[in-house]
Amino acid sequence: MMKPNALMQQQEPQAMAIQNSNQASSADAPPKQVAMAMDRLAQAARLIADVRLGADRLLEALFIAAQPHQSNKPLHLFAKEDTAMRQHLQDLRAVGRQLEESGVLNDSLRSRSNSWGLHMPLVCPDGAVVAYAWKRQLAGQAGASAVDRTRLALKAFTDQKRQFFPHLDDGLEGQSDEPASKKHCSTQVPPATLQEDLSDCKTLSDVLTRLEKEMPNLKVFTYERLDWLKRASSLPNSTNENPVEASKEHTFHSLNKLRTGSQGPVTTDKAAVIELLFPSVFRAIVSLHPAGSIDPDAVAFFSPDEGGSYVHTRGFSVHHVFRHITEHAAMALQHFLGIGTETALYFLLHWICSYQTLFTKVCSKCGRLLAMDRESSLLLPPVHRPYRHFSPLKVSSAPATSSAKDQFPGAYHIGCFSEEL
Amino acid sequence: MVREQSLTAEFPRDFFGISLPEQPNKYYFMIRGQRLVVEADSTIQTIMDKLQSYKSRVALCFEGFQYQLGDFQLRVGKVVPSHSENLRGIVMEVEYLPISSMEKARQIMEEFVDIWQEAISKRSLPGHFMHIEPNFSEYGLLDHYTPQHTAVQYATVVAQMIATQTVQATRN
Repeated sequence: MMKPNALMQQQEPQAMAIQNSNQASSADAPPKQVAMAMDRLAQAARLIADVRLGADRLLEALFIAAQPHQSNKPLHLFAKEDTAMRQHLQDLRAVGRQLEESGVLNDSLRSRSNSWGLHMPLVCPDGAVVAYAWKRQLAGQAGASAVDRTRLALKAFTDQKRQFFPHLDDGLEGQSDEPASKKHCSTQVPPATLQEDLSDCKTLSDVLTRLEKEMPNLKVFTYERLDWLKRASSLPNSTNENPVEASKEHTFHSLNKLRTGSQGPVTTDKAAVIELLFPSVFRAIVSLHPAGSIDPDAVAFFSPDEGGSYVHTRGFSVHHVFRHITEHAAMALQHFLGIGTETALYFLLHWICSYQTLFTKVCSKCGRLLAMDRESSLLLPPVHRPYRHFSPLKVSSAPATSSAKDQFPGAYHIGCFSEEL
Repeated sequence: MVREQSLTAEFPRDFFGISLPEQPNKYYFMIRGQRLVVEADSTIQTIMDKLQSYKSRVALCFEGFQYQLGDFQLRVGKVVPSHSENLRGIVMEVEYLPISSMEKARQIMEEFVDIWQEAISKRSLPGHFMHIEPNFSEYGLLDHYTPQHTAVQYATVVAQMIATQTVQATRN
């Protein structure tokens, strides 16, 4: 198959005219750019098919010409095909240049700040076009999550502003949830001892190895992005007739078999999804971007018995308790990213682990396990765990299953939680 | 339900059979004396009919309404014999949907039932709800909740109901 990349090497004067029209397109919004990129990819596919056909016809003409006693017919055929092919190849080069300009054939758009988090479709080496993930992202983001994201973004920005520009605090915070008189002048940078302690946790496998040592009840797995989708769809869900048998199939050994095709725990350089499973309590998914890094970009909580293609970091559980925790976790993630990008993943994973007591630890304020949330009229356990002054070192030194009221970190019902915690 | 001990030790003279609405293709057999619970395909009832080795002595119907309170699912219904209107009792099922481990859900379930009991005690209704937790491990059942657990709970409830009413009948 002819690869457009190979043809890009040659310079063509006609390409300049086409390049000018590209300048206008780069000012379009990303969704339009992406739609145009898809059109051009389809065009390129058609041209490639034409080129294939033309090559066949050329070969046919050559074959006929090789036969003895032929007229000029094969020569005409050949000449005609030659012109047609040259035209197709020129057109293909033009489309290829347009695609390259818009960033489809390389990773240039990933680092551009105006991409709104959308990624251009990529053409894989085998010709397949990867478009599904961002199409879904477009549809999802255009929906109700727009309001949530605005709210979260506003919260993140106000937190960071408060941290870095405390002198701008007065009077401008009147519209936010917190009273204006509260000034968080205390440092939110992790203490120096913790930073030194975490200096050896620079890579993903360092972080995960350390986490596994500190949390004995936890099961941690990593996946490449597509591998996670497969795993999520094959998870047993609670409507299975034989959940016990189904869950036996997904023991650790069969999971290893599933993963020998992808990276094992040793080579995590392409890991894009981390799964944290506390058996019988919850399953949390953390996505990393870029893959193999220690930069978390989303987190979601699910029931350990939930399965299906919606089980991913942008999806929501069918259960209210896990939906509330996912929303709260999004804010915790923003907070940990605001403190320091190098420590964010480590803090986040430890904070997630504090939920292992979700169904047993009573609220640190009212002392009960179940409480009615006014807003949603639901009975929920304490779904909030404070993240502002969260420190992993304190957690790891305390026994995991105690329900003492004053043990860090506390647990709070939605109504019992306040922002200063 | 009064049996002679020697007979029950040899061969069970009766069993419980139940079908559950969430498992329309299944039928559950229980022999309480021997702590057995078996899940079978619902078509086994035709075989049992043809064999005629066991006759249906009592057939009870549990029917009512299902409610969803957030992550809790409630079923409240009356217990009536199949071809009669006499109310034998009221049964309530509480299910906490997010998790399947009984141990992990125990505290939540207990608190829910406490909240419920408090709510209905204010209404001064006659009677009270009784919960008897069967010993699931004797039936070979594990911590992960399954329809077999439900079947065993219903068998326990029915046995309790029959025992109470027998005592009341002999008193009268």
